[in-house]
Amino acid sequence: MDLLAQILINGIFLGGLYAVMALGLALVWGVLNIVNLAHGAFIMLGAYVSWYLYTYTGIDPFLGLPITAAVMFALGYAVQRSVLNLIVRAPMFNTLLITFGLEVVLTYLAQLAFSADFRTINPAYAGDSIVLGPVVLPVARLLAFGIAIVLTVGMWLFLLHTRLGRAIRATAQNLVAARLYGVEPRHLYAMTFGIGIALAGMAGGLYGTVSQINPYIGAALTAKSFAISIIGGLDNPLGVIVGGLFLGILESLTALYIGSTFSDVASFGVLVLVLIVRPNGLLGKAA
Amino acid sequence: MLKVFDLSALLLVAAIFTMPSGSIVAQDIVLGASVQLTGPVANTGRYYRDAYQLAIEKINAAGGVKVGNESHKLALKLYDNQSDVNLSVRQYTQLVSQDKVDFLLGPFASNFALADSAVSEKYRIPMVQGGGASDQIFSRKFRYIFGTLAPASNYFGSTVEMLKGLDPAPKSVALLYADDAFDVSVAEGTRPKLKKAGLTLVMDERYSTNATDFNSLLSQIRTKNIDAVLVAGHETEILNFVRQAKSLAVAPKMYSFTVGVPSEDFRKALGKDADYAFGMTAWLPSADLKDRWFGDAAQFAAAYKAKFDYDPDYHAASGVADVEALVQAVETAGSTDPEKVRDALSKVKFDSLYGPIAFNENGQIDLPQTVIQIQGDRLVAIYGANGKIAQPKYPMPAWNAR
Repeated sequence: MDLLAQILINGIFLGGLYAVMALGLALVWGVLNIVNLAHGAFIMLGAYVSWYLYTYTGIDPFLGLPITAAVMFALGYAVQRSVLNLIVRAPMFNTLLITFGLEVVLTYLAQLAFSADFRTINPAYAGDSIVLGPVVLPVARLLAFGIAIVLTVGMWLFLLHTRLGRAIRATAQNLVAARLYGVEPRHLYAMTFGIGIALAGMAGGLYGTVSQINPYIGAALTAKSFAISIIGGLDNPLGVIVGGLFLGILESLTALYIGSTFSDVASFGVLVLVLIVRPNGLLGKAA
Repeated sequence: MLKVFDLSALLLVAAIFTMPSGSIVAQDIVLGASVQLTGPVANTGRYYRDAYQLAIEKINAAGGVKVGNESHKLALKLYDNQSDVNLSVRQYTQLVSQDKVDFLLGPFASNFALADSAVSEKYRIPMVQGGGASDQIFSRKFRYIFGTLAPASNYFGSTVEMLKGLDPAPKSVALLYADDAFDVSVAEGTRPKLKKAGLTLVMDERYSTNATDFNSLLSQIRTKNIDAVLVAGHETEILNFVRQAKSLAVAPKMYSFTVGVPSEDFRKALGKDADYAFGMTAWLPSADLKDRWFGDAAQFAAAYKAKFDYDPDYHAASGVADVEALVQAVETAGSTDPEKVRDALSKVKFDSLYGPIAFNENGQIDLPQTVIQIQGDRLVAIYGANGKIAQPKYPMPAWNAR
């Protein structure tokens, strides 16, 4: 019983981290209709930004997240205006090709710049834990989970209640109507992509405090984010939280009851099931 | 029209001028290899590139390879396989069929060596590889593959010997391993050793290669109160394992890892958290290991560090041993004929900076593993073929008591 409680806690915390990872991907996908295959590479870059901040200036990885977000926002904005804007109304296949290419370029640039050495963002408290009776709460994961919830709810409120957020949603729903109301799509797309990449960057910073970083972590993180976006649905940031938690708990339970080798089988199996039964996601409108 | 003529004339001149150097290259003995210079295992792949280059440089500086009365220089033809097994097989095929290299050196990692050795076997070109330890590579009666890594099945051999003598004795053992050729071989070799030593295997779990989350396994280790944890996996996984063990306050009496512990990069990434981790190595840079070209292993380690700015570990030493074994075999055979060199390799016997080199009938070396432990900022040899070398720090204290 204690073990089950611990496994559930592990799964929930893992799910929180998953949710932040997927948040940016789901936003970009929902608004720009781009499945950003380079999403994981941006998470990786964000992790390196946090690592540099922590290693060379001593800025705490959690307090430094706004800086990471700002750097990554600028990068995302620039990439959208210069590269992705060329294909924003192009068929899906073109967007897949170009973001895949971007992934490869970013990964290999990262190896040139940062080497293939493994890095960890390891502040003194990163390994601390709080013992609550039979269960252990890892502090870094607890913080990451808290930030995940704040970011997701913040994102939700932002989309609902701010002018920019409403413009983003309007553009996703009906471009022509949004334009008639004075939305400038080029700027708005770049803003959206910038926000998506800023979220990816922050996810990277959080990831670096609980895991190791190297230039090649991106592809697997893209796959995870993709699965979460599908499971949660693209309509609503809260769906991403549900998708993340669902996947985190599912993987932890699978590792306990079936075996660690089956974690990926379970998560991608569920992905297929969701696509068949509820193609708009668990929280999405029924098909 | 004239322009075109000028250009072709220029090309002709260029071709004539480059020809002489081309014919010198033809006299060189060319060693071919495909190594992971980019991709997820580039971090270990670089040991092989650097080891091959340094060994060839050193051997050429000492006059090269004597074949009969002639001296030949060594040359290296190296490809980057981007950590992709299929690409590496294609590159080895290209090395033997188009580049016509004389002999092959290996890639890193068992799954690569397993696939690539099929190429050397097919084209009957000897491959001496120092990157694949899985027993599977050598269990297929291949004639052209030789390996200088100690057998995977025996990686935990000396560790199990050490476990028997620890006080307090570990009552329960967990064996965790990744699902690839090397780590499965390690697990298969370790189970009977544990049984023979009278140690109880409480958890025997396989996990997916590249797993990043070990919280479920760690929570089970905690609940089942396991004393000794043996992990066979990859460096990325082991970094995550140690970090997550700390964050879940999981501190068994000891844990040991097949990779990572000997390499500087691992200790840097974990900092103080690397302390107390056990590992093993078949090689330590000792001045007792004499070498024809480098003097001894300590001098080799110094030369390597000076040139590449990081410490060599057993991967690098094994890579150098591969080049040396080929050179010794060519000199003994007095020929570069692949068949004769293969036969010479099967009987080769010499002392090197890596240890005594000789291959069993399957083509694999047999070297004992020395148990090592990170103690503070030092890497200490704890238990070797002849028993205890130094006092292990055991049991490992709780994370909050360090």
